[in-house]
Amino acid sequence: MEDLLKDLAQAKPPVPEVDPERMERDLARIVTLPRERPARKQFVRRFAPLLVIGAVIVLAVVLLPAPPQPVQPAAPPKWWHELTRQWSLMIVGDPADPYAVHIDSKTDRWLAANQQVTVLQKDGDVRPFPLDRDGNPWEAAGRPETVPQVGGTHSVRIGPMKPAVQKTAVAGFQMSLHSQARFDSLDSLPADPQELKKALETIVGKDAYRLGSLAMELISSNVSADQRRAAFELVKTLDGARFLGDVTVLNERRGVGVAIAAPPTFQFADVETQLVIDAETGLPIVKRDVITTPQFGLPAQIAISETEYLLLEQVGFEPIVPQDVPVNGEVESPIIER
Amino acid sequence: MEEFSSVYRECYPRVLAYAASHAGPRLAEDITSETFTVAWRRLDQMPSNALPWLLGIARNLVRAAHRQTTTYELTDSPAEDDFAVVELRAALASLSDADQEVLTLIAWHGLAAAEAAQVLGCTTATFFVRLHRARRRLQAALWTPNFDRARASWKTS
Repeated sequence: MEDLLKDLAQAKPPVPEVDPERMERDLARIVTLPRERPARKQFVRRFAPLLVIGAVIVLAVVLLPAPPQPVQPAAPPKWWHELTRQWSLMIVGDPADPYAVHIDSKTDRWLAANQQVTVLQKDGDVRPFPLDRDGNPWEAAGRPETVPQVGGTHSVRIGPMKPAVQKTAVAGFQMSLHSQARFDSLDSLPADPQELKKALETIVGKDAYRLGSLAMELISSNVSADQRRAAFELVKTLDGARFLGDVTVLNERRGVGVAIAAPPTFQFADVETQLVIDAETGLPIVKRDVITTPQFGLPAQIAISETEYLLLEQVGFEPIVPQDVPVNGEVESPIIER
Repeated sequence: MEEFSSVYRECYPRVLAYAASHAGPRLAEDITSETFTVAWRRLDQMPSNALPWLLGIARNLVRAAHRQTTTYELTDSPAEDDFAVVELRAALASLSDADQEVLTLIAWHGLAAAEAAQVLGCTTATFFVRLHRARRRLQAALWTPNFDRARASWKTS
């Protein structure tokens, strides 16, 4: 047994080299950030006299007539706010007779240069989703609280999800919470499809799906209308991309769409990612992954996951986050260990 | 602040290594940076032996990143390793996340059992039980028919 751990130590993946420049740059930035206040009791004990004086001053100010306020110009918009609703299907239960669960939640994302605030799993809910019309296999199984993934090592918890708040401080505009792609400025990105493609290739390489994914992320970012148009044209020209033309999606909204072949997910093969944008504004309406062959009793051309863009706007106020959720606390994912 | 800077410089490589092994090299620097950002905000809670505490923060961030990401973004398998290493890594990858974590905290990140227990938020006794079970499962995974077949195909190719 001991040897096994020694062998495992030999199989340790290569450790990335520390980039001293980045390390020091991060340290310099981190120590300028505000720290959490110390415990309340300690604070009150130490500063009680000051609090009393402060309270007296506040009272005096409140009781005095207010002087006329100078007119302040409105602060320029600071954050790019994205509100999206996303759902996905996961195949669960007995592999010989599976059914699905529908995982549905909203994400509020506030993005600025050097910082990002994300509220995950808002209004989140996991519910059973029968794959055929004959009965409800979840109810037949006695309405279990958790159900095992098919082909995976985890289970899925049925019911509501807990929201989570994440605040990160990163240099530049990070394109998504998980993506490595980051830009110092979005303004400098080309508004010509070919030039934009070259610029994005320097970040994610020439892989058509990665290029397409990044271009799709740009379309939902705080870029100009020209840049957004260029990103859409870029996706259309990628290897294996398919222009869908005029399509009607979600409550009769009309748009134009494009599809690119996607890598298989851990449960579904033959997947393509489709993006539908508003032809007038260029803003995205919906992005979805669709299976192109029948799988698990689901017909071809049905969506297995979808992101609906509810709000994309520039705002001048600070992000609104739920007050009762700890910032950067653990995310209670509905996907749990078995 | 000097104390924080000193902990930062001392622990940075090990937090980076932890993040790289659990979330891939592409995300490692960002997770490390965010780990120390959280640590700075909670400096009053930082224990004298800060590493397990820092790895606990990194662990939460890695989990959040895993939840958000698709497989292709995290996959990063070195190609030049010999078969025994590839086999061991594959056997490790076939275990549950919890088992992998228990084993790698000891074998890859060099933590003592008490420190690893702190990272996982359990008692040292519980950790030993989990380690014992994880080792047994890793051993079993190395002897499944799939690995025998892989071994055979390796020899004949």
